[in-house]
Amino acid sequence: MPQQLRVVGQHVGKEAPLALTNKPYVKLEQITKSYGAHTVLRDVNLSVHSGGVLAIIGPSGSGKSTLLRCINYIEPPNKGIVTVGDVTIEGETPVSRRDLRALRSKLGMVFQSFNLFPHLTVLRNITLAQERVLGRTSAEAELIAMQLLTRVGLADKAAQYPSRCSGGQQQRIAIARALALDPKVMLFDEPTSALDPELGLEVLSVMRELATSGMTMIVVTHEMSFAENVSDHVAIMADGCILEYGPSREVIRNPQSARARQFLRAVNER
Amino acid sequence: MLYQLGLILRGLPWTILITAVSLLIGCILGYPIMLGRNARSLPVRLVSIAFISLIRAVPPLVWLFIIFFGVGTGAFSMSPLTAALIGLGLIAATNMAEIYRGGLISIHHGQWEAAQALNLGGAHTFRDVIAPQMFRVALPSSATYAIGLMKDTAIASTIGVPELAYQGARLTQETFQGLKVFGMVGLIYILLSLPIAWLSRRADLYLRAKVAR
Ligand SMILES: Nc1ncnc2c1ncn2[C@@H]1O[C@H](COP(=O)(O)OP(=O)(O)OP(=O)(O)O)[C@@H](O)[C@H]1O
Ligand SMILES: [Mg+2]
Repeated sequence: MPQQLRVVGQHVGKEAPLALTNKPYVKLEQITKSYGAHTVLRDVNLSVHSGGVLAIIGPSGSGKSTLLRCINYIEPPNKGIVTVGDVTIEGETPVSRRDLRALRSKLGMVFQSFNLFPHLTVLRNITLAQERVLGRTSAEAELIAMQLLTRVGLADKAAQYPSRCSGGQQQRIAIARALALDPKVMLFDEPTSALDPELGLEVLSVMRELATSGMTMIVVTHEMSFAENVSDHVAIMADGCILEYGPSREVIRNPQSARARQFLRAVNER
Repeated sequence: MLYQLGLILRGLPWTILITAVSLLIGCILGYPIMLGRNARSLPVRLVSIAFISLIRAVPPLVWLFIIFFGVGTGAFSMSPLTAALIGLGLIAATNMAEIYRGGLISIHHGQWEAAQALNLGGAHTFRDVIAPQMFRVALPSSATYAIGLMKDTAIASTIGVPELAYQGARLTQETFQGLKVFGMVGLIYILLSLPIAWLSRRADLYLRAKVAR
């Protein structure tokens, strides 16, 4: 069974050569999104290379979550081009289900509120989509789920229901659930915001390990130490635009715009 | 007295039968009606809403008359029991559809988003993620409705189904002891509702303990 030989969560496959070229793996071009008259994203451009970790920071309401949700089309943008690997979707043309599936199959997502399925055991939370989406047998899916639970330190919770787990545990389970589908990129939307600091740390350490293993990640976060030390690039958003973008240290220690300086000062004072 | 009780109790199987079957029809048919009510296509939604409104706008008693005396005396004749089951079953279906819908609305949108992000697709999302939670939320109101429906089966007596209220009416005509007879009938309805309430509470507690958020 080839599944048993696979290193869980690492992305190897036919698209590996892409990393060798200079082409970004995730590319957002002129993403625009509005709710009615309210424009939430204006012409946002961003790209992330394979294996890169991008942190998106910025004040509340600046459109960070919306941007992240545009990448996997949970929130379809009104305009712009989303490219992930070999899948390109243009915002103005109707999107086929096939393209959507192809896009989402490359993207794992972790939410601020975990969104585990409360009526299913931890194990079933992780095996369900493997069976339904990837067509794995339940034995294969369970094997992979147990490997991932071990990886996030929760093998002993397999038979529990999510409600019996702490927030930090639930979020690690949610990470395992996403990883089980072999995503090429992981999207995180403030994964630790709903957690008290201690529980946040256990989630951050899983994310750090994931980054080290070479996973491509886009992380909306308020954790400045993660942005500075784990991510290689940082984007600061405000009012639906990218204010600043660049290597983490440079952006965080030496922001160019007054707005970015103001935001970073506010964050540091907390 | 015991003799009278025995006569009344001859209606008990009928009451249980009508309640159980029309509830079953309701629980099953309510599901597609709820799906139609929430369908993406506007015509399907409008037809479903019209159907629900129509069924609910006319009193249950009048529906039984329409079905039994109206439809039933036409081309195809119908036993009183069949007419009662069709009428109460349809009424139960529209009520169950609304109860399911209440359960559906209560589900956090994050559940859909997570399913979407996992690429589960519409059918699997509904079957594996949404519907189980919907039924779970709908359980207490379904049980309350089941008790209401059980009491409503008394109207089947008007088209001649020999259930509890029918037996009570017949016995009253013979004995002229209405208070006593219908007192016993009322008591039986109360006793019938107890196990339903108890079962639903047990099921609710069990599920709550299992998946409490
Ligand atoms: N479904 C929606 N309908 C209408 N407006 C929305 C919707 N979702 C988001 N918005 C608006 O879009 C703007 C950006 O929201 P978004 O959630 O992307 O911000 P954010 O940067 O993630 O903020 P936070 O740090 O608070 O999570 C906000 O003004 C918000 O009110
Ligand atoms: Mg947000």
